Amino acid sequence: MNPSVAIAASPAPGPSLGSAARAQLERDLRLVWRRRGDALQPLLFALMVVALFPLALGNEATVLARVAPGVVWVAVLLAGLLTLDNLFRGDLEDGSLEQLLLSPVPLAWLVAQRILVHWLVSSLPLLLLTPLLAEFLQLPRALLGPLMLSLALGTPLLSLVGAVVAALTVGIRRSGMLLAVLALPLFLPVLVFGAGAVVAAGQGLPWLGAIYLLAAGLAALIVLAPLAAATALRIALT
Amino acid sequence: MNRLILWFNQTGSPPNFDRFAARWTPWAFAIALVSLAIGLYGALFEVPADYKQGESFRILYIHVPAAWMSLFIFVVMAAQAIIALVWRIKLCEILAMACAPIGAAFTLITLASGSIWGKPTWGTWWTWDPRLTSELVLLFLYLGVIGLYNAIEDRRAAARAAAFLAVIGLVNVPIVHFAVNWWNTLHQGETIRLIGPSKMDPSMMWPLLATALGTKAWFVGSLLQRARVMNLEQETGKAWVGQAMGDASRED
Amino acid sequence: MQVVKIDYVGAAYALFALVLAWDYLAPRLRLARFKRDRVLRSRRDQARRDAAGNRP
Repeated sequence: MNPSVAIAASPAPGPSLGSAARAQLERDLRLVWRRRGDALQPLLFALMVVALFPLALGNEATVLARVAPGVVWVAVLLAGLLTLDNLFRGDLEDGSLEQLLLSPVPLAWLVAQRILVHWLVSSLPLLLLTPLLAEFLQLPRALLGPLMLSLALGTPLLSLVGAVVAALTVGIRRSGMLLAVLALPLFLPVLVFGAGAVVAAGQGLPWLGAIYLLAAGLAALIVLAPLAAATALRIALT
Repeated sequence: MNRLILWFNQTGSPPNFDRFAARWTPWAFAIALVSLAIGLYGALFEVPADYKQGESFRILYIHVPAAWMSLFIFVVMAAQAIIALVWRIKLCEILAMACAPIGAAFTLITLASGSIWGKPTWGTWWTWDPRLTSELVLLFLYLGVIGLYNAIEDRRAAARAAAFLAVIGLVNVPIVHFAVNWWNTLHQGETIRLIGPSKMDPSMMWPLLATALGTKAWFVGSLLQRARVMNLEQETGKAWVGQAMGDASRED
Repeated sequence: MQVVKIDYVGAAYALFALVLAWDYLAPRLRLARFKRDRVLRSRRDQARRDAAGNRP
C-alpha cells in the first residue's frame, strides 16, 4: 500500500454555529408563518384577560389605574405560559426532536434559537400591544415607560425559564396543566420584580433597582437557561 | 475513608438497604418521639410566657424547627438529586423522591403554624411579604417535584426529571433564608445563629434544641421508611423481595 | 384574651401532630398495600397455573 495515502481523513467539520443558528431560526420562523393564525391567539388571550378586570372590578378609573401594572403583567405572563407547551411538542411528535439531540451543533445553541423565536412570536407582539392594554386599564401615562421596560426585560426571562420547564415535561401526555403548575413558582420572582418596579414607580419610590435585577437575571439566564433546557431535554427523552 | 465508601456501596444495594432501613427506622422514630416530647413539654409548661407576646409565642417551638427542616430537606433532596443525575445511582433517585413529601409536610407545618401565630401577633393570618411568599413558593416547588414524579410512568426517568426540577428549585432556598435581610419584611429577623451568640435567652432556648433534634430524627426515620417502600415497589420482581417479604406471596 | 391565645397554641400543636401522623402512616399503609398486592397476585398466578394444569 502506498504509505503516503492518509490512513484516516479527518471527519468533515460540522456546520458552523452561525449557519446552524440561521437554519434553525429559518425553520422555526417558517413553521410559525405557516400557522400565523395561531400566533394571534396569545394577543387575543391577553386582551380578554385585561378586559375581564374592569368587568369584574367595576369601572372606576382610580381602582383600575392602581391594579393596571399588575394586571397587564399577569395577562402577558399567562399568555406566554399558554404558548410554552408548543415549544417542543411539535418536534417531539414528528421525530425531529430526537434528530436535534443528535446534532453535531451544541443542543443548547439550537434551543436558544428556538427560545428566541418563541419570544419574538409570542411576547414581542404582546409588548407592542401593551400601550393598548395599558390604556384599557387607565394606566397613568407616566408609568407606561417603566411598564414597557419591565416587560421588555421580563418577557425574555419568562420565555427562558419556561423553556426549561417545557423541556422537562416534553414527553408527558397532556402536560399542559402540569407545565403551568411547575412554571408558575419559577415565574414568581420575575413577576414580583417586574410588576413591583412599575408599582414602585407609581408611588414615587425608587424603581430602577428592580429593573437592574431583572437585567442581571436576564444576562445570567440567557447563558444558563438554554444549557438547562438542553439538559432537561436529554433527561426527558432518554 | 475506604471503609466509609465501602459501607455506602454495600448499603446502597437494594436488598441491603431494605434491611438497613427496616432496622434503623424504629430507632430514628424513637429518638424523634422522645426529643419532641421533651421539647414540647418544655415549650408548653417549663418555659415562661413571653413578656410581649404572652402564650402564643410557644408556637415558636413548632414553627422554627419546621421552617429549618423545610429548608434542610430541600437541600438534602437536591444533593441526592445531583448524585442521582450525575452517577445514576438508583437508591439516590429513591431517596431524593422520598424527601419531597416529608419536606412538603414540614413546609405546610411552617406556613400553617406561622399563620396561626401571626393572627394574634400581627393581626393577620397572611401577608405577602418576601419570607412568607418565598416559603409558599418552596411548598409549590415540593409539590411540583412530587407532581412531576407522579406524571411519568417509568420510575427511573420520572425520578431523573423530578430530580432536575429539585436542583433548579434549589435557588429558592437562599432566597427564603436571606429574605429577612434583603427586604424590609414583617417577619422578624435572625434571632438564632449557628455560629456566634444567639439573641434568645438560654432559659427559653433548650426546648427549641430538643424539638430541632426531634424533627431531624423524624426526618431520618420517615425518609428510611418511605425509601424502603419505594425500593421494594421498584424491585418487586426480584428474588430478594420475595425472601424479604417472608415469602408472604407464596402460599403452599 | 389569655384563653384565646392558648387556643391558638393548641391549634398549632394539633396541626403539627396531625401532619406528622400522616407522614408516619402514609408509607406504612403503602407497604401494607404492597404486601397485600403481592399476596393477591401470587394467588391469581397460582389459580392460573392450576387451571392450566387441569386442562387436558
